[in-house]
Amino acid sequence: MRARDLAVPFPAVGLDDDALTAARLMADRKMPGIVVCHGDGSPHTILPGSQVLRFVIPRYVQDDDALARVIDEQAADDMFAGLAGKRVRDLLPKEKRELPVVKGGDTVMEVAALMARAHSPLVAVVESGRLLGCVTVADLLERYLPGPET
Amino acid sequence: MTVLAVVVFVAAYVLIVTERVHRVAAALGGAGIMLAAGVVGAEDAFFSQETGVDWNVIFLLLGMMIIVGVLRETGVFEYLAISAAKRAKGQPFRVMVTFVVLTAVASALLDNVTTVLLVAPVTLLVCLRLGVPPVPFLIAEVLASNIGGAATLIGDPPNIIIASRGDLSFNDFLFNMGPIVLLLLIVYLGLCRILFRKAFCYDEARVAQVMSLNEKDAIEDRVLLGKAAAVLVLVTIGFVLHSALDTEVSVVALLGAGLLVAIAGLSPKEYLGEVEWPTLVFFAGLFIMVGGLIKVGVIGSLSELITEATGGNVLLAAMLLLVVSGVLSGIVDNIPYVATMAPLVADLAEDAGNPGNVLWWALALGADLGGNATIVGASANVVVLGIAERNGYHISFLEFFKYGGVVALLTIALCVPYLWLRYFVFA
Repeated sequence: MRARDLAVPFPAVGLDDDALTAARLMADRKMPGIVVCHGDGSPHTILPGSQVLRFVIPRYVQDDDALARVIDEQAADDMFAGLAGKRVRDLLPKEKRELPVVKGGDTVMEVAALMARAHSPLVAVVESGRLLGCVTVADLLERYLPGPET
Repeated sequence: MTVLAVVVFVAAYVLIVTERVHRVAAALGGAGIMLAAGVVGAEDAFFSQETGVDWNVIFLLLGMMIIVGVLRETGVFEYLAISAAKRAKGQPFRVMVTFVVLTAVASALLDNVTTVLLVAPVTLLVCLRLGVPPVPFLIAEVLASNIGGAATLIGDPPNIIIASRGDLSFNDFLFNMGPIVLLLLIVYLGLCRILFRKAFCYDEARVAQVMSLNEKDAIEDRVLLGKAAAVLVLVTIGFVLHSALDTEVSVVALLGAGLLVAIAGLSPKEYLGEVEWPTLVFFAGLFIMVGGLIKVGVIGSLSELITEATGGNVLLAAMLLLVVSGVLSGIVDNIPYVATMAPLVADLAEDAGNPGNVLWWALALGADLGGNATIVGASANVVVLGIAERNGYHISFLEFFKYGGVVALLTIALCVPYLWLRYFVFA
């Protein structure tokens, strides 16, 4: 089995798209992350949901569990409202990370290895420079850990 | 051998100050070379009271780090800080005063780095809710931490080294450093009103956001808090009584840490998580390097030189020590500075006399308060800079110096009449 066989169509956003819309898309479709593409449709990076949280939740709250406990619902809503007016590129980590992208012909183990190495919940599958779809960690685990036959 | 010892020491010191390599690598590397070259032997480095690693300092720090590691898990600092901000009714200057006092008192009981690590996050939360700039508050706290830490033997790492080298008790520090630190703190609070006046903008709507915080939520495990508080009280009583009990403060701290670990029910990863192993190793390396200088006679010769230069005048020596320590501690980290100076002051005290241990207090006040001058003067300053940076606030060297320089200058200047009056005029 190859990456292209596991890949499923996945929505993508552009670097300059609205961050709030991208986050809502992830929430609505229950996606662990989203593919961020250049203007020509080639993938730039994967934006994992955890990175959105890293942007939204102030670092001092991330560092201090006791403070996280005192943040009330209203304050939490205010934090997430901070996404308004931001672009997808604002959410991306500053340091350049390995691009979690595989070719359609790569093996499933190559996909799994990249996912593990890059700590990415999904991997983009590309053919001829275009995004074919994505493989999520759930798809991958399902491939290796099939449920009992019914 | 003397030349080699001096060259190795100076090279390691330059590397520590310039941060060309990590300070632990510099201290350990220097210590290793001194051992390998035979400047000091294993007996001198590990077992000698005069030239070896000061295990009292290492184990006192270790014990306190473990206690703090457990305390941190309880959320008590967040509780105290939010509660204080609410009592101050969210008025920015009153909030700053309560945070400064909380930091200063906590710094006297715990080490400065830990205190600012605990207070800074909650400061950011409160300031951002109040809509006031957090940087002045963070700077005010770290300056308070260096002032408050000067009051006790355990409050600042330089004091721990000084206590061990000078054979000074917890109460010696409390009775000699406590009064001046209290005075400095009062003056400092007034100074905060002037220095940080632009930060005190009041917005009633914003204040409601602070008043709505529920500080009780910060405390997850009340039983653990009770145990940790009880042990901290016992340890503090132990510190006060350690001379009468004829035991070392390191033993008290280790007993407290052991008791807390036994009753806390936490995993080693949790209670050892706050132990700064690099700091402990750094101390060990420093002690071996300074031990090398003592063994080859450099420290003895330097103290003779200073005694001659001051003509045996202890008042002049004390004032010189205060001012020079203050200036140098603003330029280099005060821990290696005091580790180097402590044996020198011990010799000086023997040669020139030391009424009321004034030379030790001059060294401690100069080193502790001088650390406030610049961002690199004390470890706590660097830690606050890092916390601010991670949260998107840049504190430049000059911005820190603008406040820290004034505070260091004024507080050290106030120590001059204190030392003169207390140890010479009314001795």
